Amino acid sequence: MISKTAIQHLIEKLGATNVAYEKEDLLVLGYDSTPGIHHLPEVAVFPTTTEGVLAAMEIAQHEGLPIVPRGSGTGLSGGSVPVKGGMVLCLNRMNRILEIDEENLTATVEAGVVTLDLFNAVAGKGLFYPPDPGSQKISTLGGNVMEDAGGLRGLKYGVTRDYVMALKCVLPDGSILTTGGKSVKDVAGYSFKDLLVGSEGTLGIITEITVKLIPPPQDKRTFLAYFNDVRTAGEAVSKIIAAKIIPSTMEIMDKATINCVEDYVKIGLPRQMAALLLIEVDGHPAMVEEEAQGVKAILEQVKAAEIHVAKSAEEAGSLAAARRTALSALARVRPTTLLEDATVPRSRLAETFAEIERLTAKYGLTVGTFGHAGDGNLHPTVLCDERNSDEMHRAHAFYDDLYAQVLAWGGTVSGEHGIGLAKKEYLARQIGAGGVQVMKRIKRAFDPKGILNPGKIFVDDDPCTEAHIEEGFRVSH
Amino acid sequence: MSHTDKLGNFTSEDAPDYGDVLQCMRCGFCLPTCPTFALTGRERSSPRGRVALARAVAEQKLEFTEAVREEAFFCLDCRACTTACPSGVRAGEVMEICRSQAHQFFPLKHVGKTFREFVLQKMLTNPDLLETSMLPARLYQKLGIQWLVRHSQLLKLGPEWVAKAEGMMPELHPPLRPQLPDVVPAVGERRGRVAFFLGCIMTLMYPEVSRQTVRVLTHQGFEVATPREQKCCGAPHLTEGDRGTTRSLAQHNLDLFMALDVDAIVTDCAGCGAALKEYEELLEEAGEHNKLAAFRGKIKDVSEFLAEQGLRTDGMQPVEKVVTYHEPCHLCHAQGVSRQPRELIKAIPGIDFRELNEASWCCGSAATFSLKYTGESQQILDRKLENIQATGAELLVTANPGCHLQLAWGLKQAGMPQKVVHITELLSMATG
Repeated sequence: MISKTAIQHLIEKLGATNVAYEKEDLLVLGYDSTPGIHHLPEVAVFPTTTEGVLAAMEIAQHEGLPIVPRGSGTGLSGGSVPVKGGMVLCLNRMNRILEIDEENLTATVEAGVVTLDLFNAVAGKGLFYPPDPGSQKISTLGGNVMEDAGGLRGLKYGVTRDYVMALKCVLPDGSILTTGGKSVKDVAGYSFKDLLVGSEGTLGIITEITVKLIPPPQDKRTFLAYFNDVRTAGEAVSKIIAAKIIPSTMEIMDKATINCVEDYVKIGLPRQMAALLLIEVDGHPAMVEEEAQGVKAILEQVKAAEIHVAKSAEEAGSLAAARRTALSALARVRPTTLLEDATVPRSRLAETFAEIERLTAKYGLTVGTFGHAGDGNLHPTVLCDERNSDEMHRAHAFYDDLYAQVLAWGGTVSGEHGIGLAKKEYLARQIGAGGVQVMKRIKRAFDPKGILNPGKIFVDDDPCTEAHIEEGFRVSH
Repeated sequence: MSHTDKLGNFTSEDAPDYGDVLQCMRCGFCLPTCPTFALTGRERSSPRGRVALARAVAEQKLEFTEAVREEAFFCLDCRACTTACPSGVRAGEVMEICRSQAHQFFPLKHVGKTFREFVLQKMLTNPDLLETSMLPARLYQKLGIQWLVRHSQLLKLGPEWVAKAEGMMPELHPPLRPQLPDVVPAVGERRGRVAFFLGCIMTLMYPEVSRQTVRVLTHQGFEVATPREQKCCGAPHLTEGDRGTTRSLAQHNLDLFMALDVDAIVTDCAGCGAALKEYEELLEEAGEHNKLAAFRGKIKDVSEFLAEQGLRTDGMQPVEKVVTYHEPCHLCHAQGVSRQPRELIKAIPGIDFRELNEASWCCGSAATFSLKYTGESQQILDRKLENIQATGAELLVTANPGCHLQLAWGLKQAGMPQKVVHITELLSMATG
């Protein structure tokens, strides 16, 4: 338990309103959007400056408390859940946009700035920050960097990592590390910022971020295509990529997802269709025209049931907004929504859909699938009830089988949500015990005492000694 | 949840349904829409946090503590989170139920309890008593005592809410209910027959507004029947956590209105409309499903009704005004009526309509919230006033007496020129 003196110290350093220690406050800071995971921290702090972060970390060290950073708690792998108790360090009150540099095309923000707020602020200056995770209205930049969040525009514009130019972070030894800068090129030593991006709060606490901005596309065209068969939709995606067209967005929703989303948004999505693709091409008007023709030709060639073009920017916007609600809308159906993040090489997309269909039938589950089809990044979501242990067991077996196949195809167990708590058992299967050992050594170099977000990413014991690891995945051992 | 099962640390009477709290998958889509979360930045004051607290009580991880009670009442019940929630979680309703629980866990002391019971169970259930009770307030205004009180330092002596409540009171006219004929015939070509649900606050505080509502309805071609035996809709009881009295009021109104031969039951009070539309769930256990469904189908807010029927604009007088519209939470979030009032306003000739930024963000009135949390309510109101200022409108249109009181008071305090009108007052101006 944290001592009263320590709480008093925290209050002196951070101010009374920035320290929470009552049970009702702590209970609601021990979860994120990952189902079934909830732990009670001992104290939560809301520093408003980098110095405040440092002060809180020093007190936590003194008390021997683990430190778990938290943004808005929209993570999908349990990254901000204080699984070993300790201090939750909430960064969402550090929410100032410090600078938009129009000469260097960069923006510098505190870690708690909401993603969409940054997007809007730079759009006001005629600039564009592309990463747009589904939770962009709520998620913070700090959280995006820690999880290397993707989004709907990932296909053409990349993910958060591709935009991070510099980071300021506090390390467990009390040093403040600034890495990267506004220079477009930088090969001075190891790229710490690239290590920190996607490190899920296990290496340091990020307090400031400088991101790259780009000019926005001048024009765009949005297609909505319906399919009688989900595999045909997968085929269309592979063919569009093979035709060397890179749309900014190529999103898929299956029938279950279409129906849940339509229940919420009521914009006339086709309830009877097996799948739909939301495709957007953008760029210079001439290029948009050419790519739009190409996309349309391929959709016709694979015999999409219907092809629609959005009539206005508002209509296109409402379609993207509808897609962003997919996960939450699926939660309408059953109490528990188990979401996964499997990603395959794009040529395997149609086969992946077939595999999901096969496993759904095999385990007798209800599954809604949506995702970033153009990235090969799918979110097969099992709709279940955590009170039904048999069903939960089947759901986990479903994912076990699916990941075995995904890895066999050279895919990954997480495209954009991170390992956190939810997928740590799968990590060793993908990168092997050797890979895990190197990662652990990096972790120790930054955080020798293991106080930063303990219990995440790595299974505490050597994963290869665990019974459920199958022989076939020990190859890289 | 039936009344006999006990859910975790809740009492067995009026406990939340466990399924309703499990439904929340904690995506946080509600966070940017919650006015109390915007004020405090505390997760426990957000819809996601409040549902998580209820879940913790249900799962026996937490007792029904003082803090849970505090959050149940600090929630504005504005339902903005319901609109924002793709998963269909109704955090506001969960909090309403927790208010009922709060009264079981923390019974009021004797005097407070007697007063609460007197207001909720005796006064509000009895329209005659309610009307008589307003007599002193009217005399207070008429005899010039109001002027005297306002110009003395008297109001500074009481708690803050007394001064605010006094200041919010509009110019009072005699209650409308006893004056309104049972049936007012349609004017011009007859398009149907409706029943008018006249809310308590409307008849007592804004009788002249509801008079315009009836006028507009009849000029639009509808015969208006107003049954005099109608009682309070039960909304104040729901917000105060007295679900038992709500049920008996609901049953009374249900039987009364369903005995009438009308095409629709129309109200000009968003709060009443929202409560009436919830009768179906509230009386679920009584078993009259068909009757309840039919009743639910007939309840219409006046804007919803007129937009559905199509506004008759021939012969309308132009209203040369710059106008903006504040959406009452209980209209847009609780009833999903958002497009219709704008359509009606824009259909009036001469109007220059300006969209209000954050039009569906609560004004901070929220039943008794504005008196219980005067400071927080003021902060929410200031945000609204700033947005109103930016529109450059002359008239601020709304459709709910709670918002009307709060906004009119706020504008006056801030020295802003806008006049607040109910949408039917605006329609009446255009009706020759």
